[in-house]
Amino acid sequence: MKKRRLAAGILAAAMVVGTLAGCGGGSSSGGSGGGDSTTAAAETTTAAAVQAEVKEATGEDVTIKVALWDYSNTEYYKTMISAFEEKYPNVKVEVVEFTADEYDNVIVTQLSGKQDFDVVFTKSTPALSALINQGHIYALDDLIASDSSFDSANYSGLVEALALDGNTYALPFRYDNNLIFYNKDLFDAAGVAYPEDGMTIQEYHELATKMTSGEGNDKVYGAHAHTWASNVGMYANREEKFNLFDVETYDNLIPYYNEFLAMQDEGVIQDYGALKSSNIHYSGVFYNQQAAMLQIGTWFINMLCENAEGENGFKWGVCSLPSNEGVGNENCIGGVTPVSIGAYAKHPAEAWQFLTFVCGEEGAKTLASCGIIPGYSSDAIKEIFDALPQTYVNAPEGLSKYVSCENNLLETPLNPKGKDADNIYTEQHSAIMTKSVTVEEGIQQFKDRVSEVLAQ
Amino acid sequence: MGKDAKTGKTPSKDSLRRRKTLVAYSFILPNLIGFFLFTFVPIVFSLLLSFCEWDSGNPIKFVGLENFIYMFSRDNSFWISLKNTIYYTVVTVPVTLALSLFLAILMNKPLKGRVFFRSVLFFPYVASLVAIAVVWMALFNPDRGPVNGVLMALGIANPPRWAASTTWALPTIIGLTVWKGMGYYMIVYLAALQGVSRELYEAASLDGANTWQQFKSITWPCVTPTTFYILVLLMVSTFKSYDTMYITTQGGPGEATKVLAYHIYNTAFVSSKFGYASAIAMVLLVIIITITLIQFKFEKRFTSYL
Amino acid sequence: MISSKKTTGSTVKTVLMYIALIIMACIMLIPFAWMLSASLKLEKDVFSFPIKWIPADPQWNNYKEIWNKVPLLTGFFNTTKLTLCTTVLQLVTSSFAAYAFAKLDFRGRDTIFMMYVMTISIPWQVYMVPQFKMMTLFGLTDSHLGLILMHAFTATGVFLMRQFFMGIPTELLEAARIDGLSEYGIWARLMLPLSKPAIATLCITSFTFEWNDFMGPLIYLSSSSKKTVQLMLRMFNTQYSSNYAQIMAAATVALIPVLILFVFLQRYFVEGIASSGIKG
Repeated sequence: MKKRRLAAGILAAAMVVGTLAGCGGGSSSGGSGGGDSTTAAAETTTAAAVQAEVKEATGEDVTIKVALWDYSNTEYYKTMISAFEEKYPNVKVEVVEFTADEYDNVIVTQLSGKQDFDVVFTKSTPALSALINQGHIYALDDLIASDSSFDSANYSGLVEALALDGNTYALPFRYDNNLIFYNKDLFDAAGVAYPEDGMTIQEYHELATKMTSGEGNDKVYGAHAHTWASNVGMYANREEKFNLFDVETYDNLIPYYNEFLAMQDEGVIQDYGALKSSNIHYSGVFYNQQAAMLQIGTWFINMLCENAEGENGFKWGVCSLPSNEGVGNENCIGGVTPVSIGAYAKHPAEAWQFLTFVCGEEGAKTLASCGIIPGYSSDAIKEIFDALPQTYVNAPEGLSKYVSCENNLLETPLNPKGKDADNIYTEQHSAIMTKSVTVEEGIQQFKDRVSEVLAQ
Repeated sequence: MGKDAKTGKTPSKDSLRRRKTLVAYSFILPNLIGFFLFTFVPIVFSLLLSFCEWDSGNPIKFVGLENFIYMFSRDNSFWISLKNTIYYTVVTVPVTLALSLFLAILMNKPLKGRVFFRSVLFFPYVASLVAIAVVWMALFNPDRGPVNGVLMALGIANPPRWAASTTWALPTIIGLTVWKGMGYYMIVYLAALQGVSRELYEAASLDGANTWQQFKSITWPCVTPTTFYILVLLMVSTFKSYDTMYITTQGGPGEATKVLAYHIYNTAFVSSKFGYASAIAMVLLVIIITITLIQFKFEKRFTSYL
Repeated sequence: MISSKKTTGSTVKTVLMYIALIIMACIMLIPFAWMLSASLKLEKDVFSFPIKWIPADPQWNNYKEIWNKVPLLTGFFNTTKLTLCTTVLQLVTSSFAAYAFAKLDFRGRDTIFMMYVMTISIPWQVYMVPQFKMMTLFGLTDSHLGLILMHAFTATGVFLMRQFFMGIPTELLEAARIDGLSEYGIWARLMLPLSKPAIATLCITSFTFEWNDFMGPLIYLSSSSKKTVQLMLRMFNTQYSSNYAQIMAAATVALIPVLILFVFLQRYFVEGIASSGIKG
């Protein structure tokens, strides 16, 4: 959660609003235009069936309230909502938008005032856990059971991951894997082979050392590690060796911390403290070609499509995260954007239609055409990713390999103490990375503090 | 009415007092009603929450003193943030006070370009906190910031790592707070200085009093009520501030810049423990009331001076 | 002799003072310069380090685009409405109440005043949720009226005015009372004219607060036709990235009214405005 908040937050410095937001607006209209028509034409047969069924249940015209963020600057929401209203003419969608940074807090406040949101988007699993715990979220199990067209197998285990105490509370709208992005132009210039799937973290370190060059303002760093705790923990997380809610696993973070601190000392990656205090955002570093490699989430595909083209553009590629345990592409690690039904919803049946629409094939195609990975996976989605280089010349071939895995792992599983533990994780991470404590001390404090929280 | 009170003693003491009280209440009532309904009631409600457990959704549960017991005996972050808050306040308040008074005295003089200077000094107060924070942090960048550049040029081999070090992170934030706030308090002081008669200074300088003596015997006593106001307000605002930390360090590194208000924010919105957050706020309140009462006493003594 | 010594001394002092002021002014102007320069940059260059103060290729477009992206004009209208209503209400009721707290003797005065002061010290995050629930009960959410009512009757306003009123000598009031002025008359004809700097200060305080307030409108205003400028500024932030160049462009535009007001209110801070009135 912290990660998301920071991403959106003050530290963020990314590109033109047009990026993520812009898919569909301005330069990327090709992508979204395509999405638009696909969406409209999509799945007419099943659509008719579902529609008939629900009409029997409700029939009359209703307006559903949808709470989300980034609406006014994100084209794909608008595309999806108009496609939805076309498909279900009796349902009008009223969007209630809050700003991205403060979304979690505002939604808690609004729901505690019993606002009748029918659909509630949440930014992360910890935020969703908190809302579930407070009784603000409607359990979906009955709706899932009564909807024969819904198949949770399309979500590679993500629907199951969004369950707490045996109830399912959300459908996955987006899912982001984490990858190493690299600048092909820099590697070509240095005559070094591109990074490949299946590196160990030591090999990653060596490669980064080779790619580091220059001094002062012209310095090119071999790699870039952003300041979120997950930028170090991610690796062990993907190997299923680290779980935030099991303090016994924390020791597995130590080798990764040692590696990253060493890289920092050698000047192969930028110093954590300097990055943090100067609000340096990973995207600027990569777009300005000041780092050869960058570990970040797959939302960056969309941002690169928008920003690595044109005269200052460069060729880029991706490979899977390094692993010392030999974990390959079968495991994805990342976060999910859950969509739920509010506990005080007036029209849960129509809200469910909305959920299955935006998280289903139609919504997924719109997202994929923007280079964003939907929670829903199918061959059609993979094809869209593989076709990206046709629109964006600097994008790599074969992206589909990285966007759908056998195991979609969550950085932070649903847990009532999710937000607390996440917060402690961030604090301990900053202490370790600024060398305010040794790695061992930091991990020990991390264990003690999370144990304390989990025991409550 | 006022005439009666002063001259004739015709109305009985009681009815006079009642009438006076009535007039007084007619003055405060318009504000008091709004204030009571929209601010005071919710505050009292949330203070009562400090004896309860509440996550904003589920029913409120009374837990007695449990929150306080937990706070004092087991919540390590509470003690850390209390310590940080005291440090933050004890440095920020006097520094801001002194600087803003100094600036106000300067700005009260018939200087050329006074309007310009005043506006400029006031500027950081109205500028966006994001802009302020970015600039400040860039100046104090541990590796490439101009401040450390100067320090290194002066022969300091290992200058502080500012926001990236546990020792210097809080002082860095204090600097930012002072910078942002002093323009505003300067304005408040300036308004107070307007009330100080120029004849007093003229008389004093005829008596041969130097600048310091004039300040001590005229300016300072005259602005005492304002100083009291600024003191309380500054103290309260430092006790309450969390947005600066939220934007710059998120309480880090570790918990080095975690202050009470930040802890309260986390407790409420990260841990969803609204009852416990109220309990911490209660402690904050007790501290502030104690200090305010002490200041009140001083104020009474000082104002009787005038 | 004495006077000539004084002049040379004060010339040196004046020069030193100007130097100090100019340095101060430069330091204070840095954030403004940063805002301006960031507002003219490409997004990817906003946080580049070391700071480039003058962008090589100024993006004036940022200023144009912000008007297209969000309905800023509506935002300005809403913010202006909220700010004016709050400020006026605040000025009138606060100075009214402050007079009683500063100059009248009545039972419960100190208790009520302490109640005011006490509330200043409670962070808003603590009572934000209960307050919202209460406002929902009153049906005052998603309305400008709700925000105005919440912000117009603040303790800070009363506190500020009281402190200034306290500095006005009681003898003046006694004299006025003997002249037959009622308490209301004293408030209107004596206290207010004497406390112009204080009123100006409160005006600036209230105006700046309301103009820049973000969390209040964020929580209380959900329909887009009611949103304020500050809310719209933040709309440029997205979950994964944000557009600081345009945020700063909009912030610069939003700052102008506050600066104009400040320059306008300057004239109430003229030296010795009250000197003839009070002790003379």
